[in-house]
Amino acid sequence: MNNIYLPELAEIVEVEEETPDTRTYGMRLVDGAPAPVFDYKPMQFIELTVFGVGEAPFGLCSSPTRKESFATTVRAVGSVTNALHQLGKGDRVGVRGPLGNGLDPETIKGRDLLFIAGGIGLPPLRSLIWNVLDQRADFGEVTILYGARTPTDLVYKPLLGEWEQRDDVKFLVTVDQGDESWTGRVGMVPTLFPDAGIKPEGTLAFVCGPPIMIKFVVIELERMGFASENIVTTLERHMKCGVGKCNHCAIGHHYVCMDGPVFNFQQIKEFMEEA
Amino acid sequence: MADYEARVIAKSDINAWVRALMANAEVVAPVAAHLDDVVFQPIAAPEQVAWDYENTIQPPKTFLFPQVENIYRFQRNGDRSIEVEATVDRTKRVILGLRSCDVSGVLYMDNVFSQDNPDIYYLARRANTTLISLTCPTPFPWCFCVCSDAGPFLSSGYDVQLTDLGERVLAEVGSEKGQAAVDAAGNLFSPAGQDAIDRRNSLEAQAERIFYQRETNHMASAMRRVSTAQVKDELWEAMAPWCLGCGGCNFLCPCCFCFNMHDFPANGGGVRCRTWDSCAFPGLTREVSGHNPRPTRAERVERRFYHKLSYQYLEKEGLPGCVGCGRCVITCLGTTTMPNISEGIRRGTWR
Repeated sequence: MNNIYLPELAEIVEVEEETPDTRTYGMRLVDGAPAPVFDYKPMQFIELTVFGVGEAPFGLCSSPTRKESFATTVRAVGSVTNALHQLGKGDRVGVRGPLGNGLDPETIKGRDLLFIAGGIGLPPLRSLIWNVLDQRADFGEVTILYGARTPTDLVYKPLLGEWEQRDDVKFLVTVDQGDESWTGRVGMVPTLFPDAGIKPEGTLAFVCGPPIMIKFVVIELERMGFASENIVTTLERHMKCGVGKCNHCAIGHHYVCMDGPVFNFQQIKEFMEEA
Repeated sequence: MADYEARVIAKSDINAWVRALMANAEVVAPVAAHLDDVVFQPIAAPEQVAWDYENTIQPPKTFLFPQVENIYRFQRNGDRSIEVEATVDRTKRVILGLRSCDVSGVLYMDNVFSQDNPDIYYLARRANTTLISLTCPTPFPWCFCVCSDAGPFLSSGYDVQLTDLGERVLAEVGSEKGQAAVDAAGNLFSPAGQDAIDRRNSLEAQAERIFYQRETNHMASAMRRVSTAQVKDELWEAMAPWCLGCGGCNFLCPCCFCFNMHDFPANGGGVRCRTWDSCAFPGLTREVSGHNPRPTRAERVERRFYHKLSYQYLEKEGLPGCVGCGRCVITCLGTTTMPNISEGIRRGTWR
């Protein structure tokens, strides 16, 4: 019988500094067979162990279309994340996954896609954005709206520049509060909506960010005419086991780690407990 | 049950049988402890078994799903490599003298830990554990096992079910493991005659009569209301102050299984442990950002009883998450016990 709690060893192969407290860690399985990267779907997650400190869930920010490594973007806020920030290339961590439902890109081919991210909510969406952009011809219009508190809090800055340059992607970025060098937009994410050319009919919106941002974005999208089932998010919970046993991530009788983390808002409204 | 033959053993031979069981396995049984307490413990001699007990403080859950259990050991080597070794307990155990409700609790846990992603830690212990249960001819004042069909007598689920017939004890065999446990006694058991079966059946009828003379605790009615979202937020808010958030009901419940994981470093290595957790604790859902999706006690009380009483969970887990053992009634420092909450939900008011 497979041991659902036993992590596989992974080696950190890449560390990218995103913000002063946030880094992206690229990893490969040490004894990965047949490959050093497991098969996964965008927006699935892993349980990552820093041995002797603990384990915590992290959304994958890499895309299954890029097979050299898998990655997650981590802000140092707690014991596991701070310990992870002490590690570097060549260090070993434990990994269980991929976990959760994720999103099968096959099911959204041909659709117009709208990605709305706040702060460190961009990483889980990047897994799908990369997957879509790597198969660009298979999808309709792609719009990416991103906001953070300050310019310093924007993750993937070189990548944001690339998206800005592409003519097959509409990309807008804003910050709540600018600084001396910031010449871009200032305001909360919904202030980007009027300039984004959003077509509520048939567009699939993916929203990820802090709970308060998600709340206001969803209100605005529904006001614009988005059907609840066309607004998709990835829910965050304190997923301890990741395999539907420990009950930390329960919402009603659903387990975010098993039935989610990807849910549309029609599903969320039908939960027996407020999400 | 039909596949195995019921047996009887003279009470004077029971200790010899227990001694035979002890030769092959760790035997866990109710043992007299501090003051009037009776607890499940591994025994060193058959005479320790407290056959005439009401119910133990804790269910035998901890022998299948320990309060603290090592999951794996790890060791760092000089070259940055790390060795990880799972620590699965495969000790042969007999849990002797547990009551019908506690057998039902184990059957519920079997479902939880075997469905979807099977849990090797629980299932390895379970595969190596034999359950020799005890029927309850006289229900105790706080019991309500009939409400969830978890006792007082069982028709399946046990390995051996014992009924006290006076001078003799009837042993109904429910599985191969049970057959092996009875066979361990050599020729101490003899086939049960119809008189023994009739006596058992009349004791079961007597037990049910005692239950039916009591006021019911309305669990079925509460289930219907919880499952269809008919319980108002105000009612949960009225109930919540009567829960002290201590988690005692969770820790003593045969069906509670929320858990946490902790790492303990030691000497260039360490262990990962799993420990019981509780839906009464804010920390169950609190995230590292400080955000807590279930921040109030009212929501946490609702959570506990949604899990225990909803059809949604009954469908998911196959059995109700309450076996009517009454331990929450005994341990609750406040008044948010299963019978009280069920009644409050049915009435729509809290007194």
